[in-house]
Order: sequence, then C-alpha cells, then structure tokens
Amino acid sequence: MSRSAGQLRARAEAATAALPALMLSAERLAAALVPGAHGQRRAGTGEDFWQYRPATTGDTARSIDWRRSARSDAQFVRDREAQVAQSAAIWISAAAGMDYAGSAERQTKRDRAELLALSLTMALLSGGERVALAGQPPRPGRLQADRIAETLVTRPTLDRDDDAPPVEALRPGQRVILFDDFLGDPQPVLDYLARASGLGVQGVLMQVLDPNEEAFPWRGAVLFRSASGAIGHDTRDAAGLRSAYLARLAERRETLSQAARTAGWHFGTHDTGAAPAQALLWLWSVLEG
Amino acid sequence: MLLLGPLGFLTPWILIGLAALPVLWLILRAMPPTPKLVRFPGTRLLLGLRDPHPVARHTPWWLLLLRVLAIGALILGAAGPVWKPSPEGAGQGPLLIVMDAGWAAAPDWPQRQARVLRALSRAEAEGQPAAMLIADGRAEGALPFQPAGELAGPLRALRPAAWETRYPPDPEAALAAAPSGLSVLWLSDGLDHPDQAKWLAALTARGNVTVVPPEGPRRALELVPGDQPALRLRTTASGADAPDVLAIGVDPQGTPRELARLSPADPVAEDGVTTRLVPITLPSELRNRITRFEVEGNASAGAVVLADDSLRRRKVALIGDDRASEGQRLLSPLHYLRRALAPTTDLIEGGLGDVLLATPDVIVLADQPGLGEAPALRDWVEQGGLLIRFVGPRMAASERLSDEPLLPVRLRAGGRDVGGALAWGEPRGIEPFAPDGPFAGLEVPGDATVRAQLLAEPAPDLASRTIARLTDGTPLVTRASLGQGQLVLFHTTANAEWSNLAISGLFVEMLDRLVRSARVNRPAAPETDQAEQPFWTPELVLDGFGRVTEAEASAPVAAADFARGPAPGAPAGLYRGGERLKALNAGGPIRPANWHGARIERGTETPGLALRGWLIALAAALFALDALGSAWLARGRQRALA
Repeated sequence: MSRSAGQLRARAEAATAALPALMLSAERLAAALVPGAHGQRRAGTGEDFWQYRPATTGDTARSIDWRRSARSDAQFVRDREAQVAQSAAIWISAAAGMDYAGSAERQTKRDRAELLALSLTMALLSGGERVALAGQPPRPGRLQADRIAETLVTRPTLDRDDDAPPVEALRPGQRVILFDDFLGDPQPVLDYLARASGLGVQGVLMQVLDPNEEAFPWRGAVLFRSASGAIGHDTRDAAGLRSAYLARLAERRETLSQAARTAGWHFGTHDTGAAPAQALLWLWSVLEG
Repeated sequence: MLLLGPLGFLTPWILIGLAALPVLWLILRAMPPTPKLVRFPGTRLLLGLRDPHPVARHTPWWLLLLRVLAIGALILGAAGPVWKPSPEGAGQGPLLIVMDAGWAAAPDWPQRQARVLRALSRAEAEGQPAAMLIADGRAEGALPFQPAGELAGPLRALRPAAWETRYPPDPEAALAAAPSGLSVLWLSDGLDHPDQAKWLAALTARGNVTVVPPEGPRRALELVPGDQPALRLRTTASGADAPDVLAIGVDPQGTPRELARLSPADPVAEDGVTTRLVPITLPSELRNRITRFEVEGNASAGAVVLADDSLRRRKVALIGDDRASEGQRLLSPLHYLRRALAPTTDLIEGGLGDVLLATPDVIVLADQPGLGEAPALRDWVEQGGLLIRFVGPRMAASERLSDEPLLPVRLRAGGRDVGGALAWGEPRGIEPFAPDGPFAGLEVPGDATVRAQLLAEPAPDLASRTIARLTDGTPLVTRASLGQGQLVLFHTTANAEWSNLAISGLFVEMLDRLVRSARVNRPAAPETDQAEQPFWTPELVLDGFGRVTEAEASAPVAAADFARGPAPGAPAGLYRGGERLKALNAGGPIRPANWHGARIERGTETPGLALRGWLIALAAALFALDALGSAWLARGRQRALA
C-alpha cells in the first residue's frame, strides 16, 4: 500500500469526522478538553490568581502587591497558580509484525495504529494540547499534526520482531500512549511501565491486533514463521493449537493489564476488523479520566 | 493370451496388479497434505506447544478417483490388451514348426525364438505334440513329434547358421512320422530358397500353414570380382535410403576398428530386390588393412564380406629396358606386363634402387641380366618378396648366365630356338597345368605356343621346381624359394618375340595367380607348403550373426565343396589353401519368398487392435489432470489462508 503523509492525514480526518458527534454527545469531555492549560494547584507562572502570601526575603519590590499590602501592615506578594499545558507522547511500535494484515481487505496493524495515533493527535491538538511522538519535543498547533503524519509515514519498519518504547524519552507529567501488538517479548514493556510509574507518568497501552491473531483460524499442517522469520513453529494440526494459543494470548493480556493497573495506566485492545472510532472513543475517555 | 469377451490380454498376469488398487486408495487417502507456510506475528506465543493429535487431511475424492483410474489404466495397458484378437495359429492340431535357420534369419533371431516359444507354450497348454524342423541343412530323417515342452530347451540353444537356409530335399520322408491335421508355423527368413515351394505344397496338404514373415528387410553383401573391386548390397527393402557399409580392419596401432565408411550408389530395383553397388574407393595402403566389410546395423553372416587375397592390391614394380621409342612400343616387354598387371595392381616403375624404397610386394625383371647381383634385391627377396623374372635376348647373350644369381634354376647358356625360321621343329604348345600347382585350373589355349626359350641345366630338383612346362617337358616357368620369398622365372620373353604367350589371356591369368600368391603382410613364419592344395583349411569362421568364432573345431573343406559356397560343414569364413587365403562369404543373390496358399501373420505381434498405446496415453492424460487438480487445490488453499 502506498503511504504518504497526505493520505494518512486525509484518512485520519475521515476517522475523526465521526468524532465531533462523539464530542458533542460527551459535553463534559469536550468542555474539559478545550482549556488546554491545566492548573497545577500550586504557585507558579500562570494567569489565574492563586494566593496572597507575605513577602519574604528575596522577593523583589516589583513583585509586591501594593493594593493588598496597603490594607495591612505587612507586605504581600500576589502568587498566580502555576499553569502548564498538557503534553502527550505517542509511540507506535515499528516491529516487523506490525506490518501484518490477515487479509487483503484489512489494514495492517501499523496502518491502523498510525490512523488512531494521528486521529488522537488531531483531537488533542485541536484541544490546545501539545503532542509529539515519543522522543521529540511536544508542540501545539495544527501544523504539528502534519509533522507527526510526515514522521509516521517516512519511518521505516524494523526487521526485528520486537520494538520497545524509549525509556529515556519519559518526562514527568507526560501522558504516554503506546500502540503495539504486544506479541513480542513483554519484559521491556513491563520495565517501561515500572519506570513510568516512578516518574509519575501516566498513559495508555493500546494493543492493536488482527482478527486472525485473535481467532487463530488455521487448520491442518502449517509452518508458522514470525514476521521477520526469526522464530518458527511447525505443526501438523494447527486447529488443535487454537485453544492453547488463545489461552496464552489471554494470559499475555492479563499480564499487561495487571502491570498497567499497578502503574496507574490503562490497557485497551483494538481489533483491526472493528471500526477505528470505537478505539478512539475509548482512548479519549481514558485520557480524559 | 487371456480372453475376456472381445478383449484379449497378451500378458494377463500383470492384471493381478489391479488387486492392489484398493490398497492404493487407502494409501493415497492417508497421504499427509503438504504443509502451508504462514507468516504470523503471534508465532512467539506458539513456541513450545505440542500438537495434540496430528490429523491427516483427506485428499478430495475426485482427485483420488483420478489417480486410481490413471494407475488402473497403466496396469491394463501394461497387460497388453487387444480388442478382438484374431485367433492365434490356425488349427488345434499337432504343431510343426519350420524354422528358417540360415544367415538371413539372424538379425531378428531373438524375436523368432520368442514367437516359437509362445507357440510351444500354447501347444503344451493344449497337450498337443510338436516337432521342429530346423532348416539349416543338417536335419535328417523323419521329424520326431514329442511333447511341446521338450522343444523349448533345444530351441533356446539354437543359433542361426552361417550359410543359406536349406530344407531337407524330400519333404515326404521328413514328414513320415507326422500325424494328420497339422498346424504349421513357418518362421520364414523372407527369402526364397531351393525346395521351399515343394515343402510348402507338402505342408499345405497336411494342415494349415501360418507363415511368420521377418521383421524388417533382409540384406546381403557380396564382393564383385573385377579389376576395380566393389561390393554389391542387395536388400529386400524398397526404400531409398540404404545403410552404409563399414570397412573394418586393423589400424597402424594394431587395434581392429572401423577404417572407412562406404556409401552405396544408386539403387536398381528388380523382382522385389534392390541392388546397390558399393565401390571400394580407398587407397591401397588402407585397403590392404581391411579384414572385413559389413553392413551397418545388420547382424548377419550374409551382410559380412571377409577380405581375402583377391581384395588386396599388390604393389608391383616393373624393371626393364624401356628405352624403345614410341614406334616400337609393341616390342617392349614392359608394355605387355603393364597391360596385364595394371588393372589389378598398383604399378611402380623405375630403377632398382627407387623401386625398393617403395617396398613393393612383387618385382618383375624383364630380361635384366646382372641386376640379380644387387645385395639389396637379395635381401628384399629373403624378407618375403616375390621376384618374377623373364628371360630374353640379352640374358641369352650374357656370358655369365650360368653364374647369374637370383634364379630358381641354373640356366644353360645360349637359347633354344624351336620354332624359328632356321629350326626344324614346330613351336611348342604348353602342357596343361598340374592340378597341384599355382596355375591349377587355368585353361591352356591351344594356340599359345613358344618359339624360343632358355633351358635349365639338368638338376635333381628341376622337376620339383617346374610349375609349368611345354609339351616336350622342358620348363616354361620355374620357381624356388629364397628365404621367406620366392623366385619365379619365365623361360621365355614377356613380349611376343619368343612366344605368343604374352598376347594370350593365359598370360594375364598366370601373372594374376603369381601376384596373388605374393605375401602382402609378410608373416614371420616361413611358409611350409608351396603347392596348391586340394583342401582348404578354415582360419576364421563366422557364425550366423556374422561374428567371428573359433575355427579350430572345423575340419578342412574339400576344394570341390568349397567351390559350391557356404554349406553345412563349410561355414562362411576365411580359408587357407597353401599360400592363398580365400574368403567364403555367405551373402549372394537373394530373392523374396513367395507364399501361396499360406496364411501370413502380420508381424510377430498378434493382430487385432492393440489398446496398449491408447491406455497408456489415457493414463498420461489422467496424470496431467491430476497434476492440474493438485496445483489448483494447493493454490486455492494458499489463497484462503495467505
């Protein structure tokens, strides 16, 4: 499938086209999103009044609120509530397995993850948030959506089966959204979650799977190879493996879900056979809550 | 042959294979399908899982049916089915097999044996007695009828003979023990032979005759005598293309191999026989090496011509006084020698020294006294050369004639003039040749006379050295051996001066005999017997297939029998009689056989519509369909799961 930033953006806009109704129906969510700047409930740089406090040594004369000080003997300094815009970091796995699509009619998992990510980006940006791909400086504004789309499209696929989110890109106060199939080695993800919870970073794990990976429809003799070909498993009776595979998949989800709960994160799954709006709505609600 | 309604099977036991079809069905059903290769990102989750119960996927029933049908068709085809086979043989009576066993039967001998074995096994199954007439000229007495099974052994050991097919001359005597109602199977070699019509009539009177014609044409190769040797290839085939004739001989390294390949000339068809001349256009050095000619791809004694003395061209050196001018050519002795020898030999002329360098087989000295003193010439004779000398006026005038070396007898000085103008006597005629000499059998013309000659000194061995004499008993030609070679002296001139012998045909024949007796490949062993023998001893004998067999067991052949060609007791081969080596070749004129009143079997295969080819083609088509179907299945499966 030919990929270009313009196409991705057009499709993301088509996907978000369903969103306004969504947002309208969820008035609270929309209203909360619109301000963009989030009070930090402490004194700092901002626009809203926070408190008057007695001036201490070191306060400059310019910072003294003379009108309030005139009403008493002490000098008071007018503090404002510290305000900082919410920033979101989005990461999409570039592992080879993400390029998988179970049938020609379906999108690959990577396409779907990029679509979700860009839709989310555009919604966040239109809400005044600052958004970036993990490891890049978050910026506000509509142009940022174009930049992110450009980056997503030109990013090459790895020829490995595993891709881990960059731990060093974690910043306190960020919201992190990870898109992956989480079918590779789970340990890097678990480490990442532990580190993130240590930094107070919250976020979402979004598992994007193909219907084939959820249903395991094969029968008879099959030689399974991972996307990069590094791992293989040969079977004479694929149908007989189905229950064992589904059990392992459920176990994997349970592990991730447990780890996410412990870290204060959310874990969601998405099926490329389903409509993207469903996942978008869930992401929206989770990020809001 | 097994008959099922209108369908007959040549080899019915193969049909047992059909019983294996149900087993094959089960095996084909249980065949595991080929695994598919699937790219699956979730493979890591599968690691270490065990197959709970491997299940073979069933091949679709129509594919199975296709395969089983194809294999069934193969088995049926291999069993040799024939639609409405014509009944084999004619009657059910006692079986008489007439087996042509001459050289013409050799090329397809195994097929003939197989055909007869089939008939014998059928007769054995029916309990009929059988007899076999082997027409190689050695059958004698009445044919014994015995159980058919007992004939199989002798039949397998039977080999074709290296002579023409011969039938016993009296069919009535041979068939004395034959019961009535005979069923005759005649394995013909396709050629007509003496007594064949007589036998056919006798057999037709006693039963019905089925003739099995040979497969393919018969070919015979024959040497055409003449000045320019050639081969004559006769064949019963009417086609335009003929096989080449291979000239086989010993190469300079001593290895027998094909030396040349001769192509036949344009064919001449006559009475069903196509005759082609094969000229032997080879240099004499190469031709002298040839030991045999054979028709390519025809294993038969009749297609082999063994080379003997007659084929080899001798190199003859002529030394004489040739200074006579053009007007006196008829007076030169060399002129007559040249005319007599040129057609059959390669002539060399020149001085003695030049001539010896060319290593001739024969040197002819015409009236050359004194030349005999050359030591080189004596060496050459001692190493096996043949020196023929003619006397003449110069020798007669020589003072040292009695000391002249290299003469078989000592000559008396001064000639003898018996028919001249100043003599009393009449010119002498030539006495008929002794039957044991080198000129045995040559006819002496009555008008050949000798007017003058040189006489030999009387000596005890003069009579034994004389091989031709005049009517008064004086020697005309004397001969003596020297070392491995021989000296021959004509006591008269080589021109018409002293005798009109030189202008008679006898002169040519005598020289031809002498030159032929010259050795071409000089053997190391000295020759033991120099006289013409009444017996020919086989040196090398061919079998019916044209292969060389050991000649030790063969007895010498009387000259009279030898002249009649190959026969029982005188198989084709190479025979030695004294100094001469003569080939007895089986090939000769051939005439296609003519069968009246006999049923002719078309080919050795049983007639009827043979279904073998069709069934095998059907099987091939079914296999192709099967391949297509399998490919389609595999493709469909891949598409569904890709």
